[in-house]
Amino acid sequence: MSEIESGIRKVFAEVWKQEKGTAAPEMKADTVLLDSGLDSLGFAIFVSMLDEELGFDPFTLSDDSYYPQTFAEFVAFYEKYQPRA
Amino acid sequence: MTPLSEHLNLSAILAADGRLTTREDLCRFAPLKTLAAGGRVALCFDDPHLLLRAIVALDGRVASMLLLSGALDAATVGQLTQRAGCATLLTDRAELDGIAGVAGFDRAIGEGRAAQSVQTTWLMTTSGTTGIPKIIPHSLKSLARSVYRFAPADAPTWGLLYDPTRFAGLQVTLQALIGGGRLVVADTHRPIAEQIAGLAHHGVTHLSATPTLWRRILMVPGHRNLPLKQVTLGGEIADQVTMDALRASFPAARVTHIYASTEAGVGFSVNDGRAGFPAAYLSAAPGGTKLKLVDGILWLRPASAAAPGSEVETDAEGYVRSGDMIEMRGDRLHFLGRENGVINVGGVKFFPETVEDAVKAVPGVALVQVSSKKNPITGTLVVAEIQVHDGADPAIVKQAILDACRAKLVREAVPAIVRFVDGFETNAAGKLVRKGATSG
Repeated sequence: MSEIESGIRKVFAEVWKQEKGTAAPEMKADTVLLDSGLDSLGFAIFVSMLDEELGFDPFTLSDDSYYPQTFAEFVAFYEKYQPRA
Repeated sequence: MTPLSEHLNLSAILAADGRLTTREDLCRFAPLKTLAAGGRVALCFDDPHLLLRAIVALDGRVASMLLLSGALDAATVGQLTQRAGCATLLTDRAELDGIAGVAGFDRAIGEGRAAQSVQTTWLMTTSGTTGIPKIIPHSLKSLARSVYRFAPADAPTWGLLYDPTRFAGLQVTLQALIGGGRLVVADTHRPIAEQIAGLAHHGVTHLSATPTLWRRILMVPGHRNLPLKQVTLGGEIADQVTMDALRASFPAARVTHIYASTEAGVGFSVNDGRAGFPAAYLSAAPGGTKLKLVDGILWLRPASAAAPGSEVETDAEGYVRSGDMIEMRGDRLHFLGRENGVINVGGVKFFPETVEDAVKAVPGVALVQVSSKKNPITGTLVVAEIQVHDGADPAIVKQAILDACRAKLVREAVPAIVRFVDGFETNAAGKLVRKGATSG
């Protein structure tokens, strides 16, 4: 698992706990983000907290008008726009 | 304007569960004698089909209709019904049983024809974040002003994802009822993917949503199955990335975003699929509305003398201050947000001060400043910066802030990000310096 993916999983668990007060469900590669149980607002908070944690937001960095649908696509999107050291 | 029932061009209303209501079904109903002639009636339905039947049956036959969202709690429904002077509340919600004047649809509306015709006042409510919503009077004529009447061969199939008692939802509903075509009503209690699959199954060609809801739709696998010809965005600032994604997903569709000013009582639509609007609108805007920029603020003069609200600022030439901040980039004017600092999260609008008041009351909080942060999903999110009293534990204070805000505010207004700071910038008067939206 890449560093980005483990960071995403950690933040997802935090957002879930903050918003729902329970343990987060497991995210599989083919889990559809909309079926994860987070609504638009929860998802928005997830993206903003990832920005604070990872230091970047691919939705803002990217010029593509792209919206990932599965968890694997979401992780790949973050890996693609990860700032190179 | 004559009653709505005389303007119906809609062929059918389809529910997600397959129920069908035809134009003839809608026209069969009229108020029963139990409903006092010229009375005031409140409507609060969970089932949008009953709401639409009631609206068609009652317009032109009662003095006023108060349209209440089926999502309102019983106490609010009771207060609004009383404040609007409604002797009757028609509902399909069992939890409203205790309210004075409550009755089921069948007790007040039945098959038949009503002879007399009056001008019915349509009472709409604002979606306030705190306290009781305000009641705003409208007429069918004013609400139906922008309805486009389609030739039968071009009749669209409208999808309804909005609450039909709210302004944007009523616009879609009246467009379908009067302008012709079919209306497919989504069951908003179901997950979004199911709602979209239902709309696609019924061949929805015209769909209106907020940019936040459109971004959610773009994340639904299979959203491309919607055979859309018209994509409309409203309620929030429409950004280029979202519109480009919509054009890529729905290449056959025209992408339109709507600007509406509550202050000026007018709006206009932009059909070129680009964010903002052409600078040329400053010399000639659609619909005869006149526009001008003064110190980066948009002012509008409606073509017809629509009566602006009493709290709006109007200049000597009749222009109304919209309160919307504009930036000119090349030949394009872009919306930056509201000058009074109103925060818009996914179409829900509120003042930062409302959130600050809720946070200030939390033990351990010394100072608080609430601002907005740009977000690619909901447009903006609420950020609360907190200075705690000496000795207070930030983790405990944060949880108390979230608990207090969740109890008092709508979800969108609850701070998404809580940051702890050592101090705040203050001006010469010792007041906190309010910042605009942070871009980071």
